[in-house]
Amino acid sequence: MDNPTFLLSFIVFAPAIGALILAFFPKGNADAIRLFTLAVTIAVVIPAVILALPESYTGFSATSFDLGADSMQNVFRHKWIPSFEIEYFMGLDGISFPLVLLTAVISMLAMGASWSITKHVKGYCILFLLLETGMLGVFMALDFFLFYVFWEVMLLPMYFLIGIWGGPRKEYAAIKFFLYTLFGSVLMLIAILMLYFNSDLTRLNAEQLMAANVVELREFGSAKEAFQDWKQSDPLGREYERKKAEKQAAPENEDKIKLHTFNMLALQQMGQHTELFSVPMFGCTLQCWAFMLLFIGFVIKVPSVPVHTWLPDAHVEAPTPISMILAGVLLKMGGYGIIRICYPICPAAGLSLAPLVCGVGVVSMVYGAFAALAQKDFKRMVAYSSISHMGYVVLGLGVWSASAGNFYMADYWNMGVKGAMFQMIAHGVSSAGMFFLVGVLYDRVHHRNLDEFGGIYGKMPLYTGLSIVIFFAGLGLPGLCGFIGEVLVVLSVWEYSQVLAVISAAVVILTAGYILWAVQRVYLGAEYRGPHEEALTPIKGRELAVAVPLVVLAIWFGVYPDIVLRYMDPTVDRQVEELVSWRKRHDNQPQVKMETGSTTIPLGSLVRRDGMQIDQIGMNDTLHTSSIEVPNRIVDANTLPRPIWLDAATISSP
Amino acid sequence: MDPSEWLHVLLGWAVLSPLVSFALIVLFGPYMGKAGKGAGLVATFAIALACVLSLVALFAIWLPEHYPGSPHGAGQHATTADGSDGDGQHEHASPGGHENDAHGHEPNHHDEAGSSHADSDHEHAHHPVAYYADYWYRLGQFGRLHLDIGYYIDSLTICMFCMVTLIATCIHVYAIGYMHDELEEYTDHDVTLEDGSHLTRPGRYSRFFQYLSLFCFSMLGLVIAGNIAQTFVFWELVGICSYFLIGFYIERPSASTAANKAFIVNRVGDFGMIVGLMVIWSCLGTFNFGDVDQRDDSGQLVMDNQGQPAMEAGIFSLVRPAAANYALVVPNGMVLASKRSEVATIVKDHLNHPNGIKAAESEVHARLDGWREQNFGYGLLILAGIGIFCGCVGKSAQFPLHTWLPDAMEGPTPVSALVHSATMVAAGVFLVGRFYPVFAPEVLLVIAIVGCITLFMAATIAITATDIKRVLAYSTISQLGYMMLALGVGGWLAGMLHLFTHAFFKSLLFMCSGSVIHAVHSNEMTDMGGLRKKMPITAYTMLVGCLAISGAGLPLLIGFSGYYSKDAILEQIFSFWRHDPANATLGMVFFLTAAGGASITAFYMFRLWFMTFAGAPRDAHRYDHAHESPSVMWWPLVVLAFFAVTVAWKPFDLSLSNLLEASRPTGTVEPGPGVQISQVWPNEHLAHQGTNYWTIVVPVTWLAFFTALGGFLFACVFYGWRILNAEDVRRQFQLIYSLLRNKWFFDELYDVLWIQPTLWVSRFVAAIDRRLIDWILDSLARVTAAFSRWGDRWVDQGIVDGLANGLAHWTYNTGLVLRRVQTGRLRQYVMFIVVGTVGILILITWTRSMAGN
Repeated sequence: MDNPTFLLSFIVFAPAIGALILAFFPKGNADAIRLFTLAVTIAVVIPAVILALPESYTGFSATSFDLGADSMQNVFRHKWIPSFEIEYFMGLDGISFPLVLLTAVISMLAMGASWSITKHVKGYCILFLLLETGMLGVFMALDFFLFYVFWEVMLLPMYFLIGIWGGPRKEYAAIKFFLYTLFGSVLMLIAILMLYFNSDLTRLNAEQLMAANVVELREFGSAKEAFQDWKQSDPLGREYERKKAEKQAAPENEDKIKLHTFNMLALQQMGQHTELFSVPMFGCTLQCWAFMLLFIGFVIKVPSVPVHTWLPDAHVEAPTPISMILAGVLLKMGGYGIIRICYPICPAAGLSLAPLVCGVGVVSMVYGAFAALAQKDFKRMVAYSSISHMGYVVLGLGVWSASAGNFYMADYWNMGVKGAMFQMIAHGVSSAGMFFLVGVLYDRVHHRNLDEFGGIYGKMPLYTGLSIVIFFAGLGLPGLCGFIGEVLVVLSVWEYSQVLAVISAAVVILTAGYILWAVQRVYLGAEYRGPHEEALTPIKGRELAVAVPLVVLAIWFGVYPDIVLRYMDPTVDRQVEELVSWRKRHDNQPQVKMETGSTTIPLGSLVRRDGMQIDQIGMNDTLHTSSIEVPNRIVDANTLPRPIWLDAATISSP
Repeated sequence: MDPSEWLHVLLGWAVLSPLVSFALIVLFGPYMGKAGKGAGLVATFAIALACVLSLVALFAIWLPEHYPGSPHGAGQHATTADGSDGDGQHEHASPGGHENDAHGHEPNHHDEAGSSHADSDHEHAHHPVAYYADYWYRLGQFGRLHLDIGYYIDSLTICMFCMVTLIATCIHVYAIGYMHDELEEYTDHDVTLEDGSHLTRPGRYSRFFQYLSLFCFSMLGLVIAGNIAQTFVFWELVGICSYFLIGFYIERPSASTAANKAFIVNRVGDFGMIVGLMVIWSCLGTFNFGDVDQRDDSGQLVMDNQGQPAMEAGIFSLVRPAAANYALVVPNGMVLASKRSEVATIVKDHLNHPNGIKAAESEVHARLDGWREQNFGYGLLILAGIGIFCGCVGKSAQFPLHTWLPDAMEGPTPVSALVHSATMVAAGVFLVGRFYPVFAPEVLLVIAIVGCITLFMAATIAITATDIKRVLAYSTISQLGYMMLALGVGGWLAGMLHLFTHAFFKSLLFMCSGSVIHAVHSNEMTDMGGLRKKMPITAYTMLVGCLAISGAGLPLLIGFSGYYSKDAILEQIFSFWRHDPANATLGMVFFLTAAGGASITAFYMFRLWFMTFAGAPRDAHRYDHAHESPSVMWWPLVVLAFFAVTVAWKPFDLSLSNLLEASRPTGTVEPGPGVQISQVWPNEHLAHQGTNYWTIVVPVTWLAFFTALGGFLFACVFYGWRILNAEDVRRQFQLIYSLLRNKWFFDELYDVLWIQPTLWVSRFVAAIDRRLIDWILDSLARVTAAFSRWGDRWVDQGIVDGLANGLAHWTYNTGLVLRRVQTGRLRQYVMFIVVGTVGILILITWTRSMAGN
């Protein structure tokens, strides 16, 4: 467990191996197949939870998730397709780790909810496990190509899971889902290749290469030694040396000699510290197009208006556990892509397109809420509520509010990003819960018409109690998880745009409207108004085993959000600070010509324990990794003077 | 005992005690005794414990340190809290007192805090308030910003704790009796099933106390909140408890609709509140009310350069800095926020230089005062105030969001007594009082106008209502309007005092009405009459309530609690009117409305009493079955009646008004002149100062006496002595009657104005999805399919088939594009997209290489 390669590979591929083993199971015994699948999903949760626990609990010092570190952890790189510099390269940080945990837990619960599936159980379980591998891989991959592979791996099982095990219009829903997502991923592929062919590792200096995990610091030995060693012994390093030499030999061809990479961290360094992606292209810059393509790909997944119409159909037709996965995990990939890829790699485009991003977010919030109000189908209503809630995520990620006008105050954007991240987790819990609870009803009465329920409280009181908690978590009630994400995002918006802030605040009214109305029509009232009244039996043990953990999580996250935020804090703080310092340099460009390839501010911001920055240390200094700490926050709140508006007003006389 | 060590512990446990009870009842409620009978005891014990803790906090801890010396000397003992205690928790009183006594260094804003307390009101205005504030735990940290769950304890907090827990305890005891029906199978006569029978369901006794406990927790959390965001959290929580309790009879459609209405209307107010929060958060970077110690991430105290704990300014200090003599000042953040583009220019100009941001900051700092003098940022201050007040409008059922409260009477009567009269709806007034330092004069004027409209409108509706609880509901709205009006014209103490007195007599009135409903099984006063003989205790405690709300008393000598608070309000409004001759019209309207409202109040309250308890029984059957309620129900009535009489008495220094005065926000005794308006506010002490005894106190007191008496006599004429017939008058004024009877048609208006358009938009949006977006997509798919068939004919059959026979099986079903998709078609889509992608890629790389050359 102390080996990152083994640990992370196990988490990602355990479901795939499970699927392989399952292929040799005899067809007949459905329960054995289900139990085995459930065991596999539990086997994924265990190492993920061990990672999350502090080292002192588990004893796995090397792999325990370090809450103080703001950079990638448990990173490993192995050659995969050397001719294109494609690597088997994964790692975890505060952005991906909570989502990995969420994926593992929601998959387990969704498998627990899969006992209602009776058709082709074996095929279902195999596809389910493949899907889980794809999802986990997406969150862990640090190689862009690997990321894309996992993205596609996840697509096909989902298509079949909806298309075979779905409702009456399953083929339509499945192909719609497939085409939408495929369209998005093709755009993404174009962007990936654009970035790849314009990337150039030789433009990065030693620190940037280290920050991108291209050059690895070792336990002992100086930074310079590590870099030298890399240049001499690593094939990539030799290539780096060779291209550098070529460039020196032929300065006129400098722009053509490139060392391409799929390393997402290296691409981030290039995006923020070089002009590589700012070359003009079709009336805009390359990163502008790349951002657009990636963004479209990701918001289709989120999904945002106007590319959202696959979601209601997919949800309505998908079986309950697949709806849980879809809402609980799949939608988060869009948000993850935006924060992991769009902004850090294409900051300039992100800055200029921020109004678009925020606009898309707010429109989705409002549009989704209105549409939810009009729905007659319970599941469709929940699906539209997902669109509305995921709008908060897009909005929170986009509120680039640090500008010269507020002295580059990064804190509000920081809050928005954390709010968006929290909202992803919270929505993962609450929407998975909502879909499960709708499924519990559907399993009994086989309809979802909101107007044909009523009086469920009288017949299934415990179930109603759990439902009320989950639905109110979706409503954004304080003390439950939905509130924290929403309020953090909404509060951060004003600093960016007052109009968007007011609109986003108004959504709370609509949200209350559609949730309360649905609760009234389904759970309250004197009599059940639909068919199969006799089937309304109290909730069963297995159903409780799925619903109760979600309810507990919804309350826990709502009362003590720090339990989630603590994992994200350092990483988000660092990423936002980096982008803000990028913006400072960007605003400063007219005066100072940026030297492409290297800047004075080291991005990794590795600081020695004695406080000296790495660029102040000569490359000859011995730098033990043990002497390096990655600071909790780049800007230590207490060493900097407080912003002037936090000080009491000073005026001469009243 | 040191308040800094004990107050937050005691009150913290007082908050948590009902939460524990809630958790216990949720988990084990139905197993607590027969049919969950023990749940009532658990909940009652929990709230009684909270009450004891609050009283201990007041009498054993607060008063020894902060005994009110004289009405004008409040806050002078603001000297507490030395440095640190064991667990690292650290509280302090006001900045002035704290820093002076504990650390002996004199900050520049200290001068007034420790000086002698002259009688002059102006001097008085500058005493900082004694409070204890810190945080319990952190919700999130965002760079230098953080959201906490904390506490802000001053005498207002403690008084609210005592009031809420005391009333809640009475109501819990009362509810044990009132809800006993729920112990058995309950037949709900208001619900008729399809087969014509009434609904019979298991009792929900324990569920009721579960919600009640959750409510008490939320309400106490709201009161103790250390920052406005936390207030908002508990604000929503009391809202949801109210939702549950209004909709307690979930089988009744009217109940669940009323619950929805209450929550959604409140959310409209909360929307405004969120806007206010956003302004505060963005401009001030803090939500804390008071100053707290600065702490770093690990929770350690941060020291300033003199080695003292560094303070983090709260909203109050930012808006009313000690350096400005606690006058209202637009905080730096708001000035800067409205000068964004200038700041941006300055910063960008300096970016180039080393340490440029620092230089830019000092340059901006130099210009700040100039901008402030030009009133930049003042609009944001107003917006913040209006926003927060919007929340209060929703919660306190003020015009135009008052429509939910009468419907909220669908809940059981103990709920109406606790949630919808004494505590939760008063939370809006409480928040206005708490947030008073931040309100610009323009906002105060808005508050006064809203309060004035509300008090008049609600009082008029109460005249015609016949549902006993609805009369009381409109009366509540009207009284809350009084409080808002008082606060708006600068009567902080008058408004807060009325909040307390009203809580006691209104909860008493509601519980009496509950006792009556319990006896006659009807809410309609037209079914009652003559009940005085059957249930004397209820009748006479209710009479006490009626006298208290009418402000009865011997003028200038002694009276019921309402006498003191209502007179204080009227005096302040009168003072406001007389103080500012230039804008006398508004003041006059305020005063006449308030005085007229007092008359109407007396009228409808005695109308209610006479219709219920006097005269001949209107419904003999109900009358025969009526009986006095059991002692578990009437004892709380007696206790509350006692408080309704005495709570505002001021025999010595330790009076409610003196206690409250100790929490008056510093610098607000005379709200300063506004920028957009010309109104001038009087000093609140003017209204009851000795020098104004003959010009304000005496005339207003007598006027109040006679207006109330007039209302009382009118009620006697119509309903007591029956000299005139109310029916005749009704016919005479048919138009007005139907306006009032239909509650001024607000529900109908809102339906047309908001609900129908919202539903229409939602249907329109849903239609866009299906009719427009999906139509485009389906058409695109159809076109693609057609194109692929064409491609198939030329490319596949011509070339591909020749090369790869394995792909030759592709067949297509014409016309069925998306309906019956086969895997073959899927493959083809993939192929087309991949081919297209590769084509685009080739194009890009080609253009790139061209561009490169």
